[in-house]
Amino acid sequence: MTSTAVRVDVASAAEVRRRRRSLGGLAVVPLLAFTALAFGLPAVAMLDGAFTVRDPASGATSYTAGNLTASLRGAYLTALLGSVKLSAVSAGLAALLGLPLAQAVVTSRRRALREAVLTASGVLANFGGVPLAFAFVATLGNAGVLTRRFGLTDQGWDLYSFWGLVIVYLYFLIPLTVLTLTPALEGLRTQWREAAQNNGATPVQYWRHVALPVLLPSLLGALVLLFGSAFAAYATAAAMVGSSVPLVTLQIADALSGNVLVGQENVALALSLDMVLVAGLVMAVYLPLQRRSARWLA
Amino acid sequence: MARLNPWRWPVLGLAGLYFLTPLAASVVFTLDVPGQGVTFDAYTQIFSTDGFGSSLLLSLELAVATIAVVLLLTVPAMVALRLGAPRLRPVVEVVCSLPLVVPPIAFVAGIGTVLKWGPEHLSRTPLFQTLVAIQNPGFPVVLVLAYVVMALPFVFRALDAGLRSVDVPTLVEAARSCGAGRRQALVRVVLPNLRGALLNASFLTLALVLGEFTVAQLLGFQPFAVWIVNVSGAQAQLSVAVSVLSLLVTWALLLVLAGFGGRTRTASRG
Amino acid sequence: MTVLDNTATTPEPATEAATVEFRRLRREFGPTVALDGLDLTVRPGELLALLGPSGCGKTTALRMLAGFEHPDSGEVLVDGDDVTRVPAHRRDAGMVFQSYSLFPHLDALDNVAFGLRMRKVRTAQRRSRAAELLDLVGLADKGARFPHQLSGGQQQRVALARALALRPRVLLLDEPLSALDAKVRLTLREEIRRLQQELGITTLFVTHDQEEALSMADRVAVMRAGRLEQCAAPAELYGRPATAFVAGFVGTTSRIPGRLDGASVEVLGRRLPVDGRIPAGAEVDVLVRPESVRVRAEDDGHARVVATSFLGAAVRITVRLADGAEVKADLPAHEAAELTAGAAVDVSLPDRPVLVTERTS
Repeated sequence: MTSTAVRVDVASAAEVRRRRRSLGGLAVVPLLAFTALAFGLPAVAMLDGAFTVRDPASGATSYTAGNLTASLRGAYLTALLGSVKLSAVSAGLAALLGLPLAQAVVTSRRRALREAVLTASGVLANFGGVPLAFAFVATLGNAGVLTRRFGLTDQGWDLYSFWGLVIVYLYFLIPLTVLTLTPALEGLRTQWREAAQNNGATPVQYWRHVALPVLLPSLLGALVLLFGSAFAAYATAAAMVGSSVPLVTLQIADALSGNVLVGQENVALALSLDMVLVAGLVMAVYLPLQRRSARWLA
Repeated sequence: MARLNPWRWPVLGLAGLYFLTPLAASVVFTLDVPGQGVTFDAYTQIFSTDGFGSSLLLSLELAVATIAVVLLLTVPAMVALRLGAPRLRPVVEVVCSLPLVVPPIAFVAGIGTVLKWGPEHLSRTPLFQTLVAIQNPGFPVVLVLAYVVMALPFVFRALDAGLRSVDVPTLVEAARSCGAGRRQALVRVVLPNLRGALLNASFLTLALVLGEFTVAQLLGFQPFAVWIVNVSGAQAQLSVAVSVLSLLVTWALLLVLAGFGGRTRTASRG
Repeated sequence: MTVLDNTATTPEPATEAATVEFRRLRREFGPTVALDGLDLTVRPGELLALLGPSGCGKTTALRMLAGFEHPDSGEVLVDGDDVTRVPAHRRDAGMVFQSYSLFPHLDALDNVAFGLRMRKVRTAQRRSRAAELLDLVGLADKGARFPHQLSGGQQQRVALARALALRPRVLLLDEPLSALDAKVRLTLREEIRRLQQELGITTLFVTHDQEEALSMADRVAVMRAGRLEQCAAPAELYGRPATAFVAGFVGTTSRIPGRLDGASVEVLGRRLPVDGRIPAGAEVDVLVRPESVRVRAEDDGHARVVATSFLGAAVRITVRLADGAEVKADLPAHEAAELTAGAAVDVSLPDRPVLVTERTS
């Protein structure tokens, strides 16, 4: 009697566990199904389109690598390189300028200042785009407030140039730097600074031999993240109409909306594929760095 | 330890200068119009300008729909991962992070291609009707689909951080040993403990949808961000005014949220 | 865990063991007073433990010697030289922190060699010196390991080697064992003590664990609220605590109400001479250690056993006296067999001088 009762209990416990596991599986299904549909389908379509060419006469399609080659040639290549250069320069500058700012915020004991700066960084890093472009047009554009007040145009200033875009990009990249570096800087233990001092290190030696090497993975990680973010940015550049800087995102948009030549959609898809490859590379560099810094700074 | 950092104030000052100047200049730009003197026209015109109300409304509707869908998809899945299926976690993590690798412009290129399949291949099937329906300009469902995908990485991280700080299995077991049913345990115990994470995820999504430009513009819809750009050609002052306002409003909302989060954190610490 | 091999390397004796003096150190953090006029002298070559409850200022005192904190007033002297204004990186005092102080991006060897690198010592030279030190702490084979690959105990050994690398005049240990397992703590305790004695280096050891302080130190300084209560050798501290606080903090003490009469006190029906300071009032508490309290089963005794707890060789018995005071007594296990909770007993004290203090309740 008792033994059967026990056996029933055991069976039901196993049953419960199995049911729980299958329930867990079930709850994940909608998410996976949704992503397959809303993300997988466009991704596959892009991949497929990037290798497809359509014969204008017959309407028949065939597979080719021609789009990809075309996307790495002429104006498209210039745009791709332009994007890479702009992203690299802005990311490097953002890291360089963002690090001291993040350190100033981390070492501040005023909670209100920290909270305000971090929140502002959150807004500026994510919500940049269009409002950002207009704020800069109003400030440093051809009719901008500062441009007029200081006669910057006569001194050769042009917001719609490479360095103009860099200045605008820094406006959302520096906050992004602050956001990504703050946890790492907070992970720097006081004991390390004190142990270094105790071993005869001056503050400069501490930064040179301890803090910077420990931060290096986070810094590199932030750098690739910044690069990826600048590389993918479209809204800011698009809203600053009249920019003469060739960017791959602008090229894709032009090709997609048929602004340049009809029938360039497939090249646009090939360009998109180029971008995905670059972004994928960025992620492949970022993740291992992130893991290492998490181990050091946990 | 009273450490004085003499370099800190210059750094903060320079940063403040760089970040506040464009905002201040924008305000000046909208108030001090050449030839008109100081005028508040740019701000008073906002509400009467064609498309402001409808585009803002569309953006807000999209945001609400996106938040609802993304939370409905991710919250049960992630709680379930904690409770019973930890082996699926890496799969979900990778799936939720994939959208980071595809820049929005590349993503919209893919979406555009899929949408074109409708007239080309599917015109006789009921799927065609579906494709048409999701592109209804009044409420473009396709944008909700795209935004949910784009929000997934952020929502996943926010929820993951929240779940990390809560021992979900123990909470559920404790609730059930107090006589709560499975659903009660989830709704009454687990979700309230995730309030901060849910708020955070919702806000990130809100900011993303309100500011989103790329996908909407290239698919030919006109939510708020696209409207600002479209109106800028004719009314530069107006578009700058709206930009400044939207930045400040988002910042204020986020600060309120941070205050919320901070208070719950201290409260839970006791 | 390898035991120290003393024959492998003969640790060079410290050039000259230093004297450390704290003079009227005072430090306030906002409203809290961390140090309230601390005066203390550490003799050359001794291991002095700073013992006290958390917040008593012991860590602040140590950090002032290291140069991480600065006193509002007062001075710190090493061998008679005022070092109060010397910056931390020129203090010549090696410090071992509570935990997590190893540089995560350097392996054990480079961690130990760090200070030598700061001094621009040539690579080969500093590596051999670091290897020597790792050998000294029993980790000769772990030089290539990174901190996250080492156990907590091993990390603290590396930290100890690092603190010794620059041949400091003073060694500072800030609760170095508190984050470790009980067992590791015991072995490391012995090793630190042995190493310290071999090197003959003046050492300050901060701890809140009285057992640790009593078992390791030459002298123990008990601190309370930023002041020194008593500084004495462990046996004296335990046997003749200068104040009621020391008596209560170091070891277990019970208070038995008594009546002062001149230089003697009436307690438990006997008259015992008073040891040390005599309080002003007549109503006093007599402070007794559990091992000096005698408990005997006695059917018409006025005291009752309240609780017993088995400690191995001895049993600690809590007895409630007729007037309500509770007394703890340690009895050999075989004597305590019949003394279960509720048993009537008789409590007495040996005929020895006792410590008394003002009645607190």
